[in-house]
Amino acid sequence: MTSKVTRDTLYECVNATLDGAKEKKRKFRETVELQVGLKNYDPQKDKRFSGTVKLKHIPKPKMKVCVLGDQMHIDEAKENNLPCMSADDLKKLNKDKKLVKKLAKKYDAFIASDALIKQIPRLVGPGLNKAGKFPTMCTHSEKLSDKVDEIKATIKFQMKKVLCLAVPIGHVDMGADELVQNIYLAMNFLVSLLKKHWQNVRSLHVKSTMGKAQRLY
Amino acid sequence: MEPSKTSNNNNKLPSNLPQLQNLIKRDPESYREEFERQRAVYEAMCVIFEQNPTRYNDDLHQIIMFMAQVAQCYPDKLKEYPQELMTLLKRHGSVLHPEMRMSFVKALVLLRNKNLISPTDLHKLFFQLLHFQDKNLRKFLKEHIITDIKNINAKCRDMKLNKELQNFMHEMLVSRHAVAAKTSLDVLIQLYHKRVWKDAKTVNIISNACFSKVTKIMATAIRFFIGKDDEEEDKGSDSDSEGEGTKVDLKAAVMANKVKKKTKKQKKQLEKIKSLAHKNQKKKTTKASFDFSALHLVHDPQTLAERLYRRLEKMNERFEVKLMTMNMISRLIGVHQLYLPNFYPMVQRFLFPHQQEVTRVMVFAAQAAHSQVPPDDLEPVLKTLADNFVTERYSNEVIAMGLNAIRELCLRNPYCMSEDLLQDLTQYKSHKDKGVMMAARSLIAVFRDKNPELLRKKDRGAPTELTVEKKQEKFGENTAKSYIPGAEILAFKTNEIEDFGSDSDSDSDDGWVDVSSGNYDVTFDAVAADDNDDDEDIKNRVKKKTGEEDDDEKIYSAKEAVKEVMKLTAEERASKAEDIVSSRFLTDEDFARIAAAQAFKQVEKFNQSKKNKRGKKRKQMEDEVTREAQELVPLKNIEMIYKKRKHDREARMETVMAGREGRTKFGATKGRLNPNASTTNREKAKSKNFMMMKHKNAGKQKMSFRDRQQRLKLALLRKKKFRV
Repeated sequence: MTSKVTRDTLYECVNATLDGAKEKKRKFRETVELQVGLKNYDPQKDKRFSGTVKLKHIPKPKMKVCVLGDQMHIDEAKENNLPCMSADDLKKLNKDKKLVKKLAKKYDAFIASDALIKQIPRLVGPGLNKAGKFPTMCTHSEKLSDKVDEIKATIKFQMKKVLCLAVPIGHVDMGADELVQNIYLAMNFLVSLLKKHWQNVRSLHVKSTMGKAQRLY
Repeated sequence: MEPSKTSNNNNKLPSNLPQLQNLIKRDPESYREEFERQRAVYEAMCVIFEQNPTRYNDDLHQIIMFMAQVAQCYPDKLKEYPQELMTLLKRHGSVLHPEMRMSFVKALVLLRNKNLISPTDLHKLFFQLLHFQDKNLRKFLKEHIITDIKNINAKCRDMKLNKELQNFMHEMLVSRHAVAAKTSLDVLIQLYHKRVWKDAKTVNIISNACFSKVTKIMATAIRFFIGKDDEEEDKGSDSDSEGEGTKVDLKAAVMANKVKKKTKKQKKQLEKIKSLAHKNQKKKTTKASFDFSALHLVHDPQTLAERLYRRLEKMNERFEVKLMTMNMISRLIGVHQLYLPNFYPMVQRFLFPHQQEVTRVMVFAAQAAHSQVPPDDLEPVLKTLADNFVTERYSNEVIAMGLNAIRELCLRNPYCMSEDLLQDLTQYKSHKDKGVMMAARSLIAVFRDKNPELLRKKDRGAPTELTVEKKQEKFGENTAKSYIPGAEILAFKTNEIEDFGSDSDSDSDDGWVDVSSGNYDVTFDAVAADDNDDDEDIKNRVKKKTGEEDDDEKIYSAKEAVKEVMKLTAEERASKAEDIVSSRFLTDEDFARIAAAQAFKQVEKFNQSKKNKRGKKRKQMEDEVTREAQELVPLKNIEMIYKKRKHDREARMETVMAGREGRTKFGATKGRLNPNASTTNREKAKSKNFMMMKHKNAGKQKMSFRDRQQRLKLALLRKKKFRV
């Protein structure tokens, strides 16, 4: 299959997507996403797979990440202008489902310091789990801003009840080269998750939020 | 009585309803007149029937069936017929004679099969009929509802109708009447198993039934969610044991019964064989049809688990029901990665060696553990397992079970283990009982993979390339990588497939064997590791195509490539792999190479000093099949406490028999020239019953010498007397 998608067609697709976005400017920054159709796969029988991969270039720079930290992390977060909450703030939520839901909705991801992360389920209850936004751990030795970037760059493949997946791989302000690299990385990772590798892939589209889908494979 | 009286036709058609029915079906129009007559009869009989509905009326039964049979031939006349029947049933349903009621129902089913009634109307009526206490009727209705819905969906799926029916079933399920609710639940479950209604909606309706006040309904619903795998396994073993013994040849049995004398015993035997054959058939069909747990389809698992837990807390049912509920909760937690902190203390309460069904409780504890449970919650469970089971004062089986349970738990969530505890537990690795020893070793194997730091140094095993590369995860860490591990091998190009072939022969590791031999056109597509820039990259490709080669782009043999990879440090590998992965699509061959490289890393020992040559001291990591945490914990993982015999009895007998082959029969062969000659009495005596031969064997008892002397003396004296 790989012979079918040459480097040139890939560039063609990506450029077409970018051009489409340029022609008709939207009032927001469009995200470029990769849509994958699978085949020879029975979602009811085969095991569902999920995997996370860190892309080379951050696909969603506007993602909001909240720091749930101890004093040291909070200070660091304030320096970097990151939204943050302390354990006491979390206690104030009082496990109120609505408030937790609100919190989960407000941010796209969470970071928790290693001292705090074990208590988080106890403090906030299952609300974060439910939203699929369980915090990621961060130690004091790592820089908070690096960690945030890491999270922003991480995308998750998760196969659910249907045979198609879509993941963000960039935005229209990125260069074609960067997009292509991300596409390569994401696709290679996804294919490595599949049982029969490329034989499980039915189709491949690149698409910006409002633009047309470009068929890649 | 009526048909024969009213008819004065010569051909007796009216009295012979089956014949008339046959004729009508062939040519409805020409028999319209006869039909009209029957219709009138029917109406008259209905009036009579209304007077006394409790009586059974055979003629009415026959005419009802007749009308139902021919209903499709006169749609204009019999349009109202189904409605009439339904109203009759509704009005007199409770007082009707059971057989009469059955015939009404059967007529309706017939009409339904001809699609003259809408399914929703009929099912509504049928669920009302379920209120009557009539076992046969209920059974018949249930079966009909299932087959009917199955038939509706056989050819095409009518979403709207299905939705309507599902809603109706849901209504029935929550209704007050227990039998109706149970029936609708059974229908739903059956249809799910038959893969007719396998959507999320059905599953969620069934999940609602878990909270029914009626224990039977609740248990059925819960069993639907949990029972499948267990049942399947049991069934499998059953059929294995039964399979050979009762190879039922139904046909032969029926045939034999025709010929044999007809006794009661024969009849019973035939029935038995029939039911067995039916069961066998069923087993075969059910096994393949279902292999997917409905748990995935539940909409809101968290709430469901919480509600079930609350129910469980206050539950006053039998222990089995409690166990089932616990099982379901633990599965929900494990499959959906829920957070239900109260569940763990509750499980803990049951974890004692003398607890009934303790192994199953252990399974639940392990199932409820997943990587997102905070270690603080799981630690007490682990502690109880260790304290209550893994103590010298208990028998070996208990210790082994405890260790197995701990292993299963840690496989899912290794973060809750502390160093001291683990090191205590691993002491059992040299226990004299094999079961305990194996359990302890498997625990070590798990931690070698998950977190070697906790093990004692000598238990850690020699680090391999893979273990060094893999960092230890901590709770809640982001494990996303920006590369595919092992992809760095692609930085070193190989030219031919032959290399692989020859290597697999000479090399000891198996990793190479599964490399498929395909066309390796990778070489020229591959991008050198060190050029990141795309422009340069393209240039390089052009260069390569013209045949030039840089020094650092030399072509390696497969073995050399692996060696090169092993020389790199983990960071170098990561960066190389990232470059490769983000510069082109990998082919299937590439994935094969990656898998091979990973396999090689697993056996290759880590070497700090990066020497080229290193000797293998001993075989290692061989028994450690890296376990992957499955969704569910099989019970046998925990009950694996007995050492496996080398052979079971059958295998042993087989080897014995094989040794005997070609050997002459044991025992002396000489003594008889002609084997067909008759036997002597002496030989016969050997095979006779001992009691028969007892006296013979004893022989004649001789008198003692003294007795004989005395006898002689007396005899001589007597002679003397006579002479005198």
